[in-house]
Amino acid sequence: MPIERIAVGLTVNGCAVEQWIDPCAMLLDVLHELGLSGTKKGCEMGACGACTALADGRRIVSCLALAASYAGAAITTIEGVGTPDELHPLQEAFIDHDALQCGYCTPGQIMSALGLIAEGCCDRATIREGLSGNLCRCGAYPRIVAAVAEAAGL
Amino acid sequence: MSGERARRIEGALKVTGRAEYAGEVRPDGMLHAALVQAEITCGDVVGIDDSAARHTPGFVDQVSYDDARSLAPSTATALIREPVVHFPGQPVGLTAADTLLAARTAAARVRVDYVERPSVAAIDQALDEAYAPAMAGRIIGASHRGDPAVALTGAHLVVRNRYQTAVNNHHPMEPHVVVCWWEGEQVVVHTSTQAVYGTRAIIAHALAMPADDVRVVCRYLGGGFGCKGQLWWPWMLWTLTASKRTGRPIRLELTRAQMFTLVGRRQETVQDLAVGFDATGRLVAIEHDVLAQTSTHGEYCDTTAEVSRRLYACPNVRTLHRLVRTNEPQPIPMRAPGTAPGTFALESALDEAAEQLGIDPVELRVRNFADHDHDADVPWSSNSLLQCYQVAADRFGWAQRPASATVVDGRWRIGWGMATTCYPAHRQPCRVRVRLQPDGTIVVQCGTQDMGSGTYTVLAQMVADALGVPLSQVTVELGDTLLPEGPFSGGSQVTASMFPAARQATDALRAQLAELGMGHDETLADAVQRIAPDGIEAEGAATANADIDVRCMSFGAIFTEVGVDADLAEIRVRRVTAAFATGRVLNPLLTESQHIGGLIGGIGMTLLEQTVTDRSSGRIIGDNLADYLVPVHADMPEFDIALIDEDDTYLPGGVKGVGMLGTAGIQAAIANAIHHATGTRVRHLPIRIEDLLHELPATTPGALPSMSE
Amino acid sequence: MSGVAFAYSRAADVADAVARGGAPGAAFVAGGTDLLQLWKAGRATPTELIDVYGLGLDGIGVDGDELSIGATARLSDVARHPFVVDQHPLIAEAVLASASGQIRNMATVGGNLLQRTRCPYFRTAGMACNKHRPGSGCGALDGEDRHAALFGAGSSCVATHPSDLAVALVALDATVEVSGARGVRRVGLSELYRLPGERPDVDTTLAAGELITRVLVPRAASIGRLATYVKVRDRASFEFALLSVAAVIRIDAGTIVHARLVCGGVAPAPWRLPAGEALLIGQKPERGVFTVAAAAAVEGAPPLPGNSFKVELLRRALVRTLTTIATGS
Repeated sequence: MPIERIAVGLTVNGCAVEQWIDPCAMLLDVLHELGLSGTKKGCEMGACGACTALADGRRIVSCLALAASYAGAAITTIEGVGTPDELHPLQEAFIDHDALQCGYCTPGQIMSALGLIAEGCCDRATIREGLSGNLCRCGAYPRIVAAVAEAAGL
Repeated sequence: MSGERARRIEGALKVTGRAEYAGEVRPDGMLHAALVQAEITCGDVVGIDDSAARHTPGFVDQVSYDDARSLAPSTATALIREPVVHFPGQPVGLTAADTLLAARTAAARVRVDYVERPSVAAIDQALDEAYAPAMAGRIIGASHRGDPAVALTGAHLVVRNRYQTAVNNHHPMEPHVVVCWWEGEQVVVHTSTQAVYGTRAIIAHALAMPADDVRVVCRYLGGGFGCKGQLWWPWMLWTLTASKRTGRPIRLELTRAQMFTLVGRRQETVQDLAVGFDATGRLVAIEHDVLAQTSTHGEYCDTTAEVSRRLYACPNVRTLHRLVRTNEPQPIPMRAPGTAPGTFALESALDEAAEQLGIDPVELRVRNFADHDHDADVPWSSNSLLQCYQVAADRFGWAQRPASATVVDGRWRIGWGMATTCYPAHRQPCRVRVRLQPDGTIVVQCGTQDMGSGTYTVLAQMVADALGVPLSQVTVELGDTLLPEGPFSGGSQVTASMFPAARQATDALRAQLAELGMGHDETLADAVQRIAPDGIEAEGAATANADIDVRCMSFGAIFTEVGVDADLAEIRVRRVTAAFATGRVLNPLLTESQHIGGLIGGIGMTLLEQTVTDRSSGRIIGDNLADYLVPVHADMPEFDIALIDEDDTYLPGGVKGVGMLGTAGIQAAIANAIHHATGTRVRHLPIRIEDLLHELPATTPGALPSMSE
Repeated sequence: MSGVAFAYSRAADVADAVARGGAPGAAFVAGGTDLLQLWKAGRATPTELIDVYGLGLDGIGVDGDELSIGATARLSDVARHPFVVDQHPLIAEAVLASASGQIRNMATVGGNLLQRTRCPYFRTAGMACNKHRPGSGCGALDGEDRHAALFGAGSSCVATHPSDLAVALVALDATVEVSGARGVRRVGLSELYRLPGERPDVDTTLAAGELITRVLVPRAASIGRLATYVKVRDRASFEFALLSVAAVIRIDAGTIVHARLVCGGVAPAPWRLPAGEALLIGQKPERGVFTVAAAAAVEGAPPLPGNSFKVELLRRALVRTLTTIATGS
């Protein structure tokens, strides 16, 4: 028996959107359908953090977030953080510290770091532990931590 | 001599999520594809029944062997033309549907009938069928100089051990993806690849098309490390076939689980190594025998024993590579192929020798420094290894190295270790186009791709330097076969390959401008407006290196401090100091990033990474990134990277490759530090808790201060 | 994705959830961080998900003599809640050792307790696994067994329970409140789990449709109590436990009067070590005592070839945990 699509209302980067989705769609897939490709699919299993977005200000892995369950939530993706001409200070710090290589994990690292800074981080060890849900296979870790520490005022 | 610490020019696009990776193109009417995967280990496909799949809502098409039979035979098409299952999970077909969920549902409903054959699921199940391949990578598989057997008999000290390294998977963060569509007889292919031109050639050959009718695009590449190349091509070609038949754009993206089996792996090795020394610590003989796995459908052999041939001065050396074919996935190069497992063995053995000879490990290596390549008997184009030892040792504080297994920091036993790393410096043919725009800005074009190593930025720097314009005036276009043909991203070759081509292009541009009457004091912007108002462009082309009379290699020295939990044997790397000599450093900021990233990959290989195969079925188990452990932020030590600038007058621009160097040597440096911390030699990778636990003395009972409420 | 689509609905209230949750193919979902992984791997095939995230079961507070933690309280909220941090820091320790910052913002207490094993034979599509499909065999018994259980396993299944939180909660004598068709009942957390026996596919003693609504931790137990959580793993963070230990002791007049030793990652459920606990009672908190108790605690653990090192590792982890408590460092 085919399963009906359902309507889900979300606020994405400040804009209200209403989307017809598969009940089993993940938030990540819905973001992609909305043309927001900055949130990356890395593992689909919550194990890499490339798909990190903020839901009501808290960082989540959107690949394991059942979109239907987030109806009514305010979602912030990397597209809502800054633009190439108007970078967020954390984005600027990422470029200054060369905290990226291939760049694929970068939006997730930045969204995760924004969530972490909001949660509170007091030193580099806390940042390292707090960002451990975000894998970077190129190995930009030390420079990511340096960028986040700078943006967090540490 | 060093270049500017320029920020990544594509950085703003990447940090804002605006850089467009191959899978993010969304043409109208696009279908999604999913792979049907074999459930047997080895055998023949004798029937494919997709009648149930066709009833899946949204189903559009299914392709399999019959649909690929018209493709030209080649290694890239063998697995999709011949209905033979070589390893579990091998794709036997592809479904296309309106949604990804529908495609996957349909794929699960395709019924495949097999005739199974006996399988070999591990190399130790077929040792008697080991054979010596003619080639190990780009080198001859076997080598012999002097008489190592005799020399070992007469040696003052022989260290003879077996070293083993595990299967690893590359796991770039971006999964393999293709989005393709046909425009009449032409096809457009957006795919994550380390070789847009190589991909174009394969497609053109397989489909018997003129190469110009194939456009391959990969503007941003989410990592590769060796796996975004040939082993991806069969599945990509099936997608193209389905797209042609349906007349619809199709997108295929691998799942993370599929990336364990379908796109290559670092091959496991079993290395028997004997090193002989005289009483003064000079190497008199090396015997290095490597046994490794390859698949039943392809032959691949890492250059594992190459380091034993030429890293040190030694008169008697014999090396041999042997392979065993198994029904496991095909191995291919992974970051620092050959040198990573090879240096683990050689540099671990040298550490053992140093201990037994009573010679400092650095001093032992200095005594055996090769002042030329003893294997080919040719000079180095440059070799600053001695300086690397000295600089890294000083910065690390090696002179204060305490006696073994004596230092404790809280619950941690502390150890120091070091090792040498090296990687060959090669170049490929390359073309670069430089265009001076009417507004005075510069556009540089090259059909290579930026894997994350900084290709956009260093190419811009090369051209900006040569033309004397600010970096901000230069735009770089990469990753498209509409651009002049550039090299594949692999083997640390791209930067060195681009340099002479870019130089030739800028020289040609300047020559044209001079011919048109550009004044000596005139800026490019002024000149172009005056003498070439439509803009002007020039191309440069460079050939691959044919270094016959000289050997080109990058070298480095890596020092580590490791902590081992005194009771629980948890292992953490605390500090890494390394010095690398890679010719002329074009951008220290990006070069350091490459080295740090390489070292982190090596830390993963040493302590965490292991692809686990079920020995009865040959299947990969734990095929996800929670079970296959790669390093995370919390694993990071402090890094101190020293860049040793070299003035290599032989190489064009003095440029050597960077990317591989950090991923070799580090394994032995960590293993040697673990020995220093604990007294235990572990000769296999990864090194884990169970390898050390029983060697660590159990906590001795002792009274603690009495406590009350 | 498994390819098997499911329907989705939000439960109106607990009664609605319980009424519908027992239907064949129905499953509760809250954070979804484990269930959706299993669904994607084709190892769970629900036809209908009933969302209980929004039922208001996420409160954390004091209820009489107990600390009450709602079943849908998110792990990150639990770890930072003042009551938890003040009265039961062991819970916060265990939670913060779990998963990643993102997962902790999604995953709930109830889901954490009910998450399924990380045994790779269970999680990997196509592998023989009695927990996935009874009668299909256990790949781990004769295969890769580094992750396999030391205690409580049987010939049908050697899977372990992966929760960190559950280990801490058992050490604190926690109970869970469960709503079902027959009303509300309370069950000790230890009794929530069952051993594989002949039904390795059934992890718990919950009846079909029963929903955990909250976890209750006795507050009295916190008075004068010392506790800590030690998690051993290969990677420094974001990894399930190779093994873990939660220890709780209470000292009166220089003598141990209460002890709980519970280990994780080595059994189908959080595993108490009563032999070790007994040897601590009446003793002084000294290293020698800890060593003797730890040795007794692990005695008789029947390892497989690939996990035999864990017997010694567990013994050492017990000593480490108790020593850490006793020295306050």
